[in-house]
Amino acid sequence: MPADLPISVLPPPLAMAVAQEPLPSSSVDVAIIGGGINGSGVARDLSLRGLSVALFERNDLAFGASGNSSGMIHGGVRYLSRSPQVTESSCRDSGYIQRIAPHLLFRIPFLMPIRQSARGRIALELIDAYFRAYDDYQPLKRGEPHCRLDASDMARLEPGLVGPVVGGITFDEWGVDGARLCVLNALDAVSHGARMHLHTTVDAVERIVGSDAKSGRYSMVARDRLTGEQVRVRAQVVVNATGAWSPVTAALGGLPQARVRVRPGKGVHVVLDRRLTNYGILSEAIDGRQIFLEPWQNMSVLGTTDDDYYGDLDDVRATSEEVRYLVQGVAHVFPSVRTARAIGTWAGVRATLYAYGPNEDALSREHEIVDHAADGAPGIYSMIGGKLASYRLFAQELSDRVAGRDFDVQVPCATHVRPLPGGDGIPNALELAEKYCITPVAARRLVYRHGTIALRILERTARRPRERDVTCPCEPVLEAEVRHAISEEMARTVEDVSRRTRLGLGACGGMRCAMRCGQILAEETGLLPRRGQALAGEFLVRQAKTRMVALGPEQARQEALALAHLRASVGEL
Amino acid sequence: MLVVGAGVAGTAAALAAARAGAQVSVLDGGTGASTLTTGAIDANLWPRAPTRPAPIAAATHDTLRSLGGYTLPDAGARLLTQSGMVRPARGHDDALIDIKPFASVRVGVVRCERPGWDADALARAWGEGFEPLDALVMRYADERMLPDPDFAMRHDDEARLGWLAERLRDALARTGHGIRAVVLPSCLGVEYPRAQTLSERVGVRCGEAIASPGGPSGLRFERARDRALADAGIERVQARATGVDRKGNVWRVATDSTADRFLEADAVVLATGGLIGGGIDYSPAESIFASALPPFARRPFRLTVDAPAVLGAHGAPLELPSTLFGSPPESVVWPGLDDSLMDCVGVLADADGRTESGLFAAGDLRADRPRAWLDVLATGAAAGAAAAKTALNASAATQVPAEGPPIRP
Repeated sequence: MPADLPISVLPPPLAMAVAQEPLPSSSVDVAIIGGGINGSGVARDLSLRGLSVALFERNDLAFGASGNSSGMIHGGVRYLSRSPQVTESSCRDSGYIQRIAPHLLFRIPFLMPIRQSARGRIALELIDAYFRAYDDYQPLKRGEPHCRLDASDMARLEPGLVGPVVGGITFDEWGVDGARLCVLNALDAVSHGARMHLHTTVDAVERIVGSDAKSGRYSMVARDRLTGEQVRVRAQVVVNATGAWSPVTAALGGLPQARVRVRPGKGVHVVLDRRLTNYGILSEAIDGRQIFLEPWQNMSVLGTTDDDYYGDLDDVRATSEEVRYLVQGVAHVFPSVRTARAIGTWAGVRATLYAYGPNEDALSREHEIVDHAADGAPGIYSMIGGKLASYRLFAQELSDRVAGRDFDVQVPCATHVRPLPGGDGIPNALELAEKYCITPVAARRLVYRHGTIALRILERTARRPRERDVTCPCEPVLEAEVRHAISEEMARTVEDVSRRTRLGLGACGGMRCAMRCGQILAEETGLLPRRGQALAGEFLVRQAKTRMVALGPEQARQEALALAHLRASVGEL
Repeated sequence: MLVVGAGVAGTAAALAAARAGAQVSVLDGGTGASTLTTGAIDANLWPRAPTRPAPIAAATHDTLRSLGGYTLPDAGARLLTQSGMVRPARGHDDALIDIKPFASVRVGVVRCERPGWDADALARAWGEGFEPLDALVMRYADERMLPDPDFAMRHDDEARLGWLAERLRDALARTGHGIRAVVLPSCLGVEYPRAQTLSERVGVRCGEAIASPGGPSGLRFERARDRALADAGIERVQARATGVDRKGNVWRVATDSTADRFLEADAVVLATGGLIGGGIDYSPAESIFASALPPFARRPFRLTVDAPAVLGAHGAPLELPSTLFGSPPESVVWPGLDDSLMDCVGVLADADGRTESGLFAAGDLRADRPRAWLDVLATGAAAGAAAAKTALNASAATQVPAEGPPIRP
């Protein structure tokens, strides 16, 4: 945020607590560092087994790769030839996720056009056979078997496709809102006693020796980045689930960074303002890499790049070159993406297992648990690698090890059968819309994000009818949901609310809702109103930065309008 | 002379030219950025560094007087925004409440179930002295979801305004008599700002807080403009200009209207707005062409009206970027902040708005000018006056030989 933004002229965060008096201190079984899908998955698993857990997240839940993935829990079709067991476990776990959060998944049928060439026919035969093998795993995730299509079938299914094709195939995958999946895991952990320290960075991890160690082998000092308050937590076991940040985190505990080395790979997506097609479409980029266009919730998403990343992990942003690379690649088969309106970008950094030499695409997407007992730190584990689709399995593997070896707890894993919060059913959105006098679209979006908890959110409007107001008209998001995200889902900034509800992520970029959200945030959390405005300003600037790189003619006018709107709010100096 | 564009700049230009004695027509291409005004009149815009308050030009006062319904207090104003800010301004649409005179008194914020209006949160955000006030503002069930301008239009009706005044009086009577001013959501009329009448009937000052762009303030401007242009005897042609060129001493403006395909004038003021209004388009090379490689490089912005004017920023013409794909957008737009290309791009012109080719430019279309009301009014009036002078000279020149005796060698 630029220093001269006047809405940032606000009371600074509370002065950093001076560590004169002893810090508030507590003791847990397991401390988890990192609130991505791995960290929150482990927090949920261990809490369900009865262990006490504290989780520390430097930014917000799903701030990094988990909230910026392609939004799919795919079955790992590309691993089929090299390691079919990975495909099988991915598919099985995809099925489990569908069971525990049915409201959060949506089907994305993919089209894979095969271009006409000397080897086009053979390629089609081979791919057809390959997907016939994948069909065996589809029932595990309630997927449909693939179809082989000829050129006219392709043209009929998606008239927007261009170029001579010999045909193609369809295959079936599931889309998911990765940030919500992560939040639901964290919320379930909280309801089983876990403590979440969000926006809280761990400053030190110290080994405790001697008789003191009974109440915990490790002592951690963490600092809330919004308030400056410090806490000390003792834990028997520490889990490093910080993804691309892993080596940084390991260094805090004095562990050798090389043991948790990852190869950070930046992945970028471009978000278009509507569903351009109802099919995911695969295409090849200029360098032959596979990229795609997918319908995702109420938008379309272009993805993805994979490039080694050397920048700041707290500030990962797409560049216009990456955007052009993707648009050009997809326009090759689906030209209307050129004139579509891009309204934003996502950028995240994958924490792939380290290897020097192979190009980014050839890196393994498998995961690995590093036991730091070998480094003289028994009870510290690092989770390296992994992917959204198999997060639950990774969490289970780690929890099995921790529960069994460190605590002798033999409770079996329940994360694949117990529904996530709201996942015990899908209420009828139209009935809700009628009953609570809201628009069917708002009801549908609410049910998508919250499942049966949508009922509880709408009950708020019975007590306070004004909470039926639409705070974010693009998505839409009701005021009740904004308040729910703050009071029940641990959102502390406007950006947090946006991550949980998709507020401000539509075509207007938060112009119409961010300030109102800041107001509600200040009211719900007892902050000064100016602080709420400042949080809204931070959100607007950050979002603007992510959108700029994909600017097209329509969005340029929208940006000018958004700036004029901000100016109307701020006035002259 | 002809003014292309009927926003704030075009109106100021037309009125100034009419005052100078020129015969003026205005080409009105429909809704533009001025319709999105929020009613605050600023001299500088965030985040530009504030300049010393310059004296307001006499022409600006004249324009606002002709429009009616706007106030420029000598000491400036303090306006309330629906995003919870109290912000300074040089002046305002008369429907808005200026709370500068009410610094240390109780101000009521009307509780009203309109979208985005949360009296309790606003009272808290605006700070000391503000308190929510229970009063009935909505009379019919549909008004909860009615867009702001439609809701405001209902108070153009005398009887309805009277009803509102009674409700507010009741509310004030209930809470005792400590409240000295009342803040309402955007609702006080479209034909005229009704805040003054309402205040007189209620007995305390009443007014709106600033809403989002697209509220009633923009419509109030349009109504005021229509009246002012009619009063000044200025002809208004409903059409969109497509091109401007010069044939000898006469400017010819092509339009999209079948009735007025071409209009001719001795001088033309272009006031077609900037990026928001549609006078300037962002037109990157890459998205226009279907091929992966555009066949030629192009400047990232263009004029939407084909005219012999040069787009530039920071005092220099726009250059071709060194890439066929168009300038990287990061270099074009905010938040590169106060001197981003997007914010500065416009027609290069002298102080009067005169371009090299003798065409005049005003308002948002001008390069390197803050896009603030006062500046738009000033550049509009300056261009209008200068263009009128050109037009009057031209017609004087063409009339001399007609009236004088034929000259024979």
